[in-house]
Amino acid sequence: MKILVPVKRVASLDDEFELRDDGRDVDPDFCEFDLNEFDEYALETAVLIKEAAPEGTVEVVVLTIGPDDADDTLRKALAKGADRAIRVDDADLGDADRVAIARIIAKVAEQEEPGLVLCGAQSSDFGHAQTGMSVAALLGWPRVAVVSRLDYAPGAASATVERELEGGLVERIEVETPAVLTIQLGINTPRYASLRAIKQANAKAIESRTPTDLGLSTGEIGGAGALSRVRRVYVPERGKSEMIEGTPSQQAARLLEIIEEVQG
Amino acid sequence: MIPSGIAPTEVTRILFQDFSLWMLLAFYAYAITAMAVFAFGVYVQVRKYRSGQRGAAFSWRQLATRLADTAKVIASHRALRRRDARTGRLHAFIFYGFTLLFIGTATITLQEDILGPLLGVNFWHGQFYLLFKLVLNLAGAGFIAGLTYMMYRRGWLRPPKLDYARPDRTPEDADFSRERYRIEDWAFLWTLLLIGITGFLLSGARMVWLQAEPAVWETRWWAPFGALVAAGLKAIGMSSEGAGALRMGLWWFHGVLALTFVALIPYTKAKHIVTAATSWLLKDPNALNHLPLGNLDADHIGYRTLGDVSSRYLVQADACTKCGRCHEACPARAAGYPLSPRDVILTLREQANALLGEVLPKPRAAACATPLVGLATGEFRPDTLWSCRQCGACTEICPVGVEHLPLINLLRRDMVDQGNMDSALQRTLGAIGKTGNCFNESRRKRPQWTRDLPLKIKDARKEPVEVLWFVGDYASFDPRSQKVSRAFARILHAAGIDFGILYEGETTAGNDVRRVGEEGLFQQLAEGNVETLSGCTFSRIVTTDPHSFNTLKNEYPDLGGSYQVSHASAYLKELLDAGRIAPARQLDFTVTYHDPCHLGRLNKGYDAPREVVAATGAKLVELPRSRDNSFCCGAGGGRVWVPDPPGTSKVSEIRAREAAEIEGLDVLVVNCPKCMTMLEDAVKTTGNERNFRVMELTELLAEALEADAVAPAAAPAEVG
Ligand code: SF4
Ligand code: SF4
Repeated sequence: MKILVPVKRVASLDDEFELRDDGRDVDPDFCEFDLNEFDEYALETAVLIKEAAPEGTVEVVVLTIGPDDADDTLRKALAKGADRAIRVDDADLGDADRVAIARIIAKVAEQEEPGLVLCGAQSSDFGHAQTGMSVAALLGWPRVAVVSRLDYAPGAASATVERELEGGLVERIEVETPAVLTIQLGINTPRYASLRAIKQANAKAIESRTPTDLGLSTGEIGGAGALSRVRRVYVPERGKSEMIEGTPSQQAARLLEIIEEVQG
Repeated sequence: MIPSGIAPTEVTRILFQDFSLWMLLAFYAYAITAMAVFAFGVYVQVRKYRSGQRGAAFSWRQLATRLADTAKVIASHRALRRRDARTGRLHAFIFYGFTLLFIGTATITLQEDILGPLLGVNFWHGQFYLLFKLVLNLAGAGFIAGLTYMMYRRGWLRPPKLDYARPDRTPEDADFSRERYRIEDWAFLWTLLLIGITGFLLSGARMVWLQAEPAVWETRWWAPFGALVAAGLKAIGMSSEGAGALRMGLWWFHGVLALTFVALIPYTKAKHIVTAATSWLLKDPNALNHLPLGNLDADHIGYRTLGDVSSRYLVQADACTKCGRCHEACPARAAGYPLSPRDVILTLREQANALLGEVLPKPRAAACATPLVGLATGEFRPDTLWSCRQCGACTEICPVGVEHLPLINLLRRDMVDQGNMDSALQRTLGAIGKTGNCFNESRRKRPQWTRDLPLKIKDARKEPVEVLWFVGDYASFDPRSQKVSRAFARILHAAGIDFGILYEGETTAGNDVRRVGEEGLFQQLAEGNVETLSGCTFSRIVTTDPHSFNTLKNEYPDLGGSYQVSHASAYLKELLDAGRIAPARQLDFTVTYHDPCHLGRLNKGYDAPREVVAATGAKLVELPRSRDNSFCCGAGGGRVWVPDPPGTSKVSEIRAREAAEIEGLDVLVVNCPKCMTMLEDAVKTTGNERNFRVMELTELLAEALEADAVAPAAAPAEVG
């Protein structure tokens, strides 16, 4: 039995940063990159299931989509207990949105035939919380979002999950497998990947695939396969106000100045 | 002198005088059995030690130096006299008494069983015999005096360090009780004492028995204590025949007891006679400041199972005499954490004895595969290992060379590798891995503390400098320590020093990352810094941070970076001596100085900081625990990143209270950014904020250097 855990390499910003020249994202020079925190919980959930099962019966496969910079993220996942890592890359992926990414994940899921797909509830940089749900929709599998507890015996026909609702309510759901679950923070305590383990994970091969390998056409991936497009990323200007003081004629003069400034 | 009319050859002791053949046979049979039991015991112990991992072999030269050093330490009892001079001296009595008596017995055996029968060489008579008697009599008296004092100490003085209460266990735990050790301690003392006393009684009884022989009676005062016993026996009316019977009884009692003692040496605490010396011989001279380089490519790192432990530590485990010096010195123990370094080493001993030290060999492989850390009986508890500050107080004071500090570190390495640690610590390590600093700040922010300076510090990556200042994490990011960094920069600038820093090119030196046990991350950080430094031109490194100082100086050479590294305090002392800086005024504060572990105990940097204090004119009053006995601020070993559990008193607060005892104290001088963080906090939480200030040595000096400084270091005025 396999568990597929799609992971994302997320960016965190410096206090001071600059935007990319096209104004559609932050200049990566000003970012530190790391494995998405939500995905760490999803991965830990998968590894715990593996460890509770007889040895060799559960395989945890991590998957990421992006250029080879993302290998670090996969190595960290391998160090934390994943068995295999897959990276899908293509030059045309640049403008992919969540749905375009989900299409790739879904294809990998079709190939790998996991019993569960465990995603992080959202990414810590963009926070759309859409990828996991899109994967489920594309596969036509049952799905539960923002899972805070999971009971699953590998190979069972269903899993029991809990979600936290408002007012301290807990919703318990039985879901048929294979299913896609998105995992909430705090479901467990992700383990530390020591540097030694990460280094040793360097020795493990990362399987690299292209969308073509997966049977996806250029029209289905990247910007062409996306349903949305980022127009602009910006820091909104702070509202300005000024108390105009002085004699009425001075005030009038200042007012004129401002009008001219704004009209520019 | 031999009285006239007695042939010197008659002045001797006839061994086995009046023994029948069966007695002789019985005695030799017992003696040979005892030797066999002894030899087997030695074999069992050596087999146990050999189950451990072997370290690098010594060269002959190293061996010679180590042997000489070991002999010196034993002969002088230097290590045993520290912080407990009387006990050390009386142990010397026992030691020298025992050694001389042992040599005496060996001499007799040599004469009687080897040289005499084989070569016909006989020397044990005449003047030599009389001197021999005198020496052994005095030795015996010292031996008994020493033992009696030890009994008095255990029975009446009862120092707390000899109460074996385990802070790492509760009475419900199967391995809580130390009763067996207590019984063994007393049995050991009584056995030796009885051997000593019966020796004198025997000597006296023999004199009375042979009182008719002038060769015995006339020379009796050469054995003064024996002669006193003889006088006593005669005074109570003992006849020659009665004394003969007494002598026979005592002879057997004394002989059998002594042989039994020898036979049991390898099985009891008596083995410290051998193991303590061996442990000292094998100990790592740099155990305090240099941790062993871990192999990241092995299938695991550090100590996971009993079979991973090096033979050296197994010998050390048997060398420990439970003297409690480490227990007394440990700051974690003092603050109520579940750690005593003595119990750490005893846990190893007990586990090794139970699994590897059995008389009947057990399957080695299974024993070696036994996990070391866990909650089961006989295992090291994770809490215990995480309580350690890696301050070295234990290892430094141990009179038999036990190295608790690296042992604990090696045990932690595997725990880190398995993620068996506090989540706060995990987050910090994660942050360091990502950003290169423990504040989880972006690399770009590292040099921001220089912004408010009226001078521009050179970028050592871009231009050659004389002094490369390695700033370190706390001195770069912690707002309080940033002030100190700026003060240091101004001093260097005023002295006209050509210095520079690495700006955002610096990452944390990794000293504490290594002490936590994250060896892989440490090596990565160190390799990164070594690479950065290799691109710079400088002649020496100076740092205000003792932690960075320690690892740069002692551990970076293993990773390809050998530099001349000085701590700021030593460097400032140099500048003062060279006249490049001169105090403009004398401070009239009463100050005390807290030795940071990493500068003091670990690197023996005790004097330079005190000389800098003296140069400021401040009056230095030493803390009760200072220099090698300094009491850790509690930050070491990564504990600065782990919140203290509620209910425990903080190590730093104990230290702050200690300082508060000093009358008229104005300033508690620290010399490390982490000590600053811990102690400034503790001074507040112990309510001493208004009584005295915490200042770094650099700041104190800066104040003395400024001619126009205004405010004296009075406590801040009461507010509201
Ligand atoms: S290093 Fe310090 S804290 Fe750790 S056991 Fe030794 S004395 Fe205690
Ligand atoms: S380890 Fe050393 S200092 Fe500690 S009790 Fe044993 S002999 Fe004494």
